[in-house]
Amino acid sequence: MTEPAAPADPAAEPNLVEVRGATRRFGPVAALRPLNLTLAAGDHLLLAGPNGAGKTTLLRLLAGLARPQQGEVRVGGADPRRAAGARRRIGLLSHQPLVYDDLTCEENLRFFARLYGLDGGDETVAAALARSGLAERRDAVAGALSRGLKQRLALARATLHRPELLLLDEPFTGLDAGAAADLVTFLRTRAGEDGTASVLVTHRVTEVADLVNRVVVLDGGRRRCDRLWAGGDGDALQALCAAATAGRDRARAPA
Amino acid sequence: MSLVGQTLAILRKDLLAEWRTRERLSPMIFLVLLMLLVFNFSFDMAGAPLHRTGPGVLWSAFVFASLLGLQRTFAAERDNGCLDALLVAPVSRTGLYLAKALANLLYLLVVEAVTLPLFTLFFSLPVGAYLAPLPLVLLLGSTCLATTGTLFASMAGHTRLREFLLPLLLLPVAMPALISCVAATGAVLEHSRGGAASWPPALAAHLEMLAVYAVVYSTVCLLLFEHVIEE
Repeated sequence: MTEPAAPADPAAEPNLVEVRGATRRFGPVAALRPLNLTLAAGDHLLLAGPNGAGKTTLLRLLAGLARPQQGEVRVGGADPRRAAGARRRIGLLSHQPLVYDDLTCEENLRFFARLYGLDGGDETVAAALARSGLAERRDAVAGALSRGLKQRLALARATLHRPELLLLDEPFTGLDAGAAADLVTFLRTRAGEDGTASVLVTHRVTEVADLVNRVVVLDGGRRRCDRLWAGGDGDALQALCAAATAGRDRARAPA
Repeated sequence: MSLVGQTLAILRKDLLAEWRTRERLSPMIFLVLLMLLVFNFSFDMAGAPLHRTGPGVLWSAFVFASLLGLQRTFAAERDNGCLDALLVAPVSRTGLYLAKALANLLYLLVVEAVTLPLFTLFFSLPVGAYLAPLPLVLLLGSTCLATTGTLFASMAGHTRLREFLLPLLLLPVAMPALISCVAATGAVLEHSRGGAASWPPALAAHLEMLAVYAVVYSTVCLLLFEHVIEE
């Protein structure tokens, strides 16, 4: 199958992310078939598809948390598994909070500020706490926070070092509608501030229609759709994603 | 950030969490005390020379306690998926391994520091200058356990059967070092009968072996860790 051409403008700045022929198998299951993908600064990509489509696998390859069995993944021109400099460009937010339950909000952020070697760590941490609305809970242990507050802390941790590439894996899991809307607002503000790129994996497609400007639909480890998205109607975005895998659904439907 | 800085940051984080929860030290110390108590009543210490039974008792207790602690090496990282956050950060895998191994070594040394006075009490061990080499034996033996245990804890952590897998992986590999630990401790305790302050003659060879094991284990584990911790 010929993959659709990526809509990135070749005349634009060098790509922040380049995936060339990356594959990944788990035993007999091909989680990701040879995939090419480029992402430039300012791209906000929605990675959609049914369960088992390869979305999280691709995200873990981009984060340097998994190794492609074939092909290569480059972030800022370097392999994120090998180059600490490439990983420094990445912020990861997952459906898990990725914060330590036994440490306070401030201690969590201070710890990661140290790991990222941030100058002026105290000011950076204080600003991140204020931006996330957690300034008054700075001394509360993360394990005592509600799911929504913990996810705010997680977002503060993921964006503490002002990453150029934000990877978001089902960030709305466990959040109610209000908390999810807050998170979308925060992400939109964040994206507008620094001109970061982002890759967002979520099944709650309608909630991110105004956040993303490009849509890639995966199915069975293959790319079924790669379109620019002008924003707007969430239902239209949902329909676009559903249409990309419609053939698959028909094939699975009972006779 | 330098390797030392990264190592210290992760170590500090682990120690802070442990200070707050004591979820590793408390069960480790409690297990060692229980084992000493059981051994104390099980063995007829009046009939058996201490240097024959004592080292086995002591190191059995330390090994089981270390297994208990090592199981939790990456527990905080597994909870909430924090390992992903650490691995995405620009942290050297070497720094992560060193911090975890150092934390394990410190926990084991604390357990040993608490245990030794009780061991001398339970087993009526005469306190004297002849015990001076014992901390060195404990340090080298604990280093062997901590370095190999940290690697195997990271390997076992990827599996469902991690609680069973860790002892099955660790004990065969650490066995040569444990034999040297028991022999060296026996040499120290045997020296008590002479009451001399000088080192027992057999001890030097055992310490050399332990030092070699500690260096080899640390180096090999350090080299392998990067491959083990990643998917």
